[in-house]
Amino acid sequence: MEHWQIAMFIMIAYLVIALVIGVLAGKGRDKGSLDEFAVASGKLGLIVMWFLMGGAVFSAFSFLGAPGWAYSKGAPALYILTYTAFAILPWYIIGPKISKIGRKYNIYTVSGFMKKRYGSRLLPILIGLIALLASIQYLATQMKGMAYIFNIMTEGRIPFWLGALVSYGIVVIYVATGGLRAAAWSDVFQGLLMIIISWVVGLAIVNQLHDSVSGMFNNILENNPGFLEIGNAGSTMSPMAYTTTILVSLIGFLMWPHLFSKSYASNPRTIKKTVLIYPVFALFLIPLLLVGFAAVNVVDPATLDSPDQILPVLITTVLSLPGWIYGLVGAGALAAAMSTADAITHSASLEFTDGVIKNIKTELSEKTTLLIMRVGIFVIGGLAYFITIFGGQGLIALLLGAYGSIVQFAPGVYGALYSKRATAPAVIIGLIVGTVVNYYYQLVAESTPLEIHAGILGLMCNVVIVFVISALTQSKNITAAEGYRNINS
Amino acid sequence: MSKRKFTAIYSFSLLIPLLLLLFPLFSLGNRETPIIFGLPFSFFWVILWIIVTFLIVLFLYRIDPDKDEEEAN
Repeated sequence: MEHWQIAMFIMIAYLVIALVIGVLAGKGRDKGSLDEFAVASGKLGLIVMWFLMGGAVFSAFSFLGAPGWAYSKGAPALYILTYTAFAILPWYIIGPKISKIGRKYNIYTVSGFMKKRYGSRLLPILIGLIALLASIQYLATQMKGMAYIFNIMTEGRIPFWLGALVSYGIVVIYVATGGLRAAAWSDVFQGLLMIIISWVVGLAIVNQLHDSVSGMFNNILENNPGFLEIGNAGSTMSPMAYTTTILVSLIGFLMWPHLFSKSYASNPRTIKKTVLIYPVFALFLIPLLLVGFAAVNVVDPATLDSPDQILPVLITTVLSLPGWIYGLVGAGALAAAMSTADAITHSASLEFTDGVIKNIKTELSEKTTLLIMRVGIFVIGGLAYFITIFGGQGLIALLLGAYGSIVQFAPGVYGALYSKRATAPAVIIGLIVGTVVNYYYQLVAESTPLEIHAGILGLMCNVVIVFVISALTQSKNITAAEGYRNINS
Repeated sequence: MSKRKFTAIYSFSLLIPLLLLLFPLFSLGNRETPIIFGLPFSFFWVILWIIVTFLIVLFLYRIDPDKDEEEAN
């Protein structure tokens, strides 16, 4: 059998297993329960929770973008390790609070969380819309990853549109039928697979191209001085850009609805234990960075359309690796992309239904809400698919772009948890200004002042506005403000 | 120990390793050489502090006054 045939066989086997696990996980549960669909009745255990959070973070970006950064930018790729390890840590403190607030007021989204505290209808609508747009962008990156992988591993035989359609179609099916529980269980399988594959294949590639890891780095030191430092001559990124990129990812991480709302899916003890073992996930990124470094001075950048292709290109054309490795890497990358896509599709539908639809049409029964959420998964899936096939832009620019707007939720969320003074008009205006500033510096302006990340510039304006306007306005809903702030006692 | 005090200790002790990985303090580790365990110094520095962070969180969990709370109030 040809290499690409073996690869295709393994990837299809993987897709079938993922579909079966996802569909089986939702079996025997109450299909008519909104609580089950949205937060798995709040009863996910430690292992499942860990993989759900890990799977959501390990995305197509980790498998394709991380080696791409190491290969094209060098040391700045270390930002991925730093933010992955640190971004989860605030969850230890705020996760249990959000979980209790969710149970007390029966909330399962970010929009619901903001609405209850600030008592405005405009705010959840804004959050629902931003979450939807950001999620579609995020989904597009995952789908591009899946399509790339299918295309390259089968040596061009599976076209772009078909690879994305098949793999994302499976995600949509199991999420729509089984809700969060289906996503969680398929993530356990996908998580294990990608961890094992990244280490095995990562080290195999380094050893094929170079004698050893240190030999590889000595080679880079000699030929590319400055490549393994940040901000000095020969480096590709300034210290300010590096630091603010980490900060924006760090603060924005838990504001993502698919991660934020996992607080509702478990109890405080499980949340704390998840944080405890989480940094281990950051270490799984190391072999993927090594792969990127291994390709420096081996692969000519001019031969690639984009640095994100470095891992698949190394496997198929540069190294003569056996077909089953093609298949394994394909399956690992698909797992990474799909385990992110399932959580995001699920939460985008929840946020849009709870934030936008329920605040425009206020009288909806639980049954209708659940139906809208299920249909929403297909609609959002379809939208993301068409944007992916017909739209353009590099993987990482898309991801960071979406991040920039999500981070603007942070002042409202932390204000709700720690202040009784923060008011609705302050949070709304802060959110709008922050988002506009971010978009301006990200998409319109040529460069940003001092090379500060656009999201951080937006956030600085946002925070100042929240403080100033809160001081000038009166909070309307003192009971909710007190209830949120004193949730622990 | 009160919850408030624990939160303060938690935030402060984890802020230190984070600051060591951001500029200006990251300048301490932002060097290509020496190569340690096969890795350039900057790479090693980041991994070192991630491992230290992991150990700090393990310790913090042990001293957390309400680590065993099962259910929401």
